[in-house]
Amino acid sequence: MSGYLARRLLAALPTLLGISLLAFALLSLLPSDPILTWSEGMIPASAAEMERLRTALRSDESPAERYADWLLALLRGDLGASMRDGRPVTTLIAEALPWTIVLNGAAVVLIYALGLPLGWALSRRRRPMLGGASGLLLLLSVVPPFAAALLLQRLFAVRLGLLPLQGTGVGGGLAVLPHLVLPALCLALSGWGFVARYARVAFRSAMPESAIAAARARGLAGLSLARHFAANAALPFLWMLGGLVPALLSGSVIVEEIFSWPGMGRLLLRGVEGRDYPLVLTLVFLSGVAVLLGQLLADLLLPALDPRARAPLVGTESGE
Amino acid sequence: MTPRRPTPAVALLTLTGAALVAPLLVDDRPILARRLDGSLAWPALVERGWSEADGVALVNPPLHQSWRAVHLEEALRPPSLQHPCGTDALGRDLLARVLHGARLSILVGLGATGFALAAGLLLGGTAALRGGWADLGLSRLIETLTCFPPFVLAMALVAVRGGGVGSMIVAIGIGRTASAARFARTEVLRWRGTGVWLAARASGGSRGHAAIRHLLPLLADHLSIQAAFGVAQAILLEGGLSFLGLGVPAPIPSWGNILADGRSTLEIAWWPVVIPALGLAAVLAFLLRSGSSSPESA
Repeated sequence: MSGYLARRLLAALPTLLGISLLAFALLSLLPSDPILTWSEGMIPASAAEMERLRTALRSDESPAERYADWLLALLRGDLGASMRDGRPVTTLIAEALPWTIVLNGAAVVLIYALGLPLGWALSRRRRPMLGGASGLLLLLSVVPPFAAALLLQRLFAVRLGLLPLQGTGVGGGLAVLPHLVLPALCLALSGWGFVARYARVAFRSAMPESAIAAARARGLAGLSLARHFAANAALPFLWMLGGLVPALLSGSVIVEEIFSWPGMGRLLLRGVEGRDYPLVLTLVFLSGVAVLLGQLLADLLLPALDPRARAPLVGTESGE
Repeated sequence: MTPRRPTPAVALLTLTGAALVAPLLVDDRPILARRLDGSLAWPALVERGWSEADGVALVNPPLHQSWRAVHLEEALRPPSLQHPCGTDALGRDLLARVLHGARLSILVGLGATGFALAAGLLLGGTAALRGGWADLGLSRLIETLTCFPPFVLAMALVAVRGGGVGSMIVAIGIGRTASAARFARTEVLRWRGTGVWLAARASGGSRGHAAIRHLLPLLADHLSIQAAFGVAQAILLEGGLSFLGLGVPAPIPSWGNILADGRSTLEIAWWPVVIPALGLAAVLAFLLRSGSSSPESA
């Protein structure tokens, strides 16, 4: 078991390096003059200002040199400073990250709480509720999340006045909860369709009706039946984790912007709007790392639930 | 299951046609006109100004409204006979803007998906066919690309390159390449183990020739399903980018930026938000239903 853990972690290292290389390459090597793009829409920069930018962006050094420096600084935990206000990127992230974790955590709970039962209903055939469930699934996957967020915000915060309009409220702790409801709900909207669709396939293969009928025939019922299938039912949770993280990170940007939630998504948007390269580079890199961590977590938990995964996965990692 | 659903290929063609035709339904310029010197002109098809003095209109669009003419005295009119979908905060006809925005959203969706499928087939196909070190390296690349959330990647790329139609197609295309590449690699590996591949190679075809002439047609069905889902995803991504103000520049309508414009006046007018959202939902539903036309596909 520990051998499997070590091998899986080791196999993630090249991917981690790849993420840093790709993030750097995409943002630095594309045919465009960063200085021109940066000063776009502003008063034409003076020669001194251009010089300052050139030093800040270090555009006269070779890309390989800049990449090596960036990577070394990254290893030291030095993420550079924002080009707009000069504050260290680590500080900006430290301020924003907890908010994003709270929002996404709440969204994950909501997504699983509705998505898995919906996927379960869809995986069982010949049920009267099937028509309604698949209609709901289609509806969930076609409603554009940003439009839904705008309309829900208007309905609950403006019309009914039940929930706060935006922001996180003053004072920490439980005072945040009412502010959390709408953003988490809107973020979950985009995940429900995905999870339900995925869970339908997973439940169908992991818990076919014949197996349940066989278990019932052996006299299992109620709690003992649930215990019998608990591990099987937990599998879809894991399989989806890897795919859910990128969906949430993407949705987070728009939801955080609409609800003025001071998280990573808004930070990225500010960075993109301000052409703040060090900030955007770090955030793109970190989003890749977050997805990788999600995949790793799923892979590491899988063998605990599924004995089939213990041996073969290790084999395919090196072989094939 | 309803019996008649469009196949993905038909759905994509219909959508392309609709994107090209839709702007002709509402425009302030004639579709066909005769210039003063007697030659024929197509003012609504080419993006050029046209005034009454330029010639005589022969064929006019059914609705004579402009998507960019500002009429502040008609701002935020609810849907009426003159403006079937109402007007926005600057008094521009919303139906005209939504239909013109459809062209942009759909063309970016199609372009980005074309880009992603081409790049994905190249990456995944090469990995599967070459095997060995090439497969190992390319698979790592695909795995790495998978790690970037498409929307975050597209945002960053648009930040570097600026937001035009071309750079949005590339940005969304790169974001969606990974899933296309994974699909291509799995499918090609599957077919490579069968007699089809062996026969094609044994009859003297080179690897590339056999892949294009013999494997690609076998993948066509699955590819068109992938394309339908891909276009739906890409249209949503484009909508998100434009909604955040990172898409095409201001006067040009796109579903995303119409929605974003409507946001500030949502307190007093619902139509600038609801109507583009309905358009978006309709196109997505059309694509997703065509993509899941076989009952077993997830």
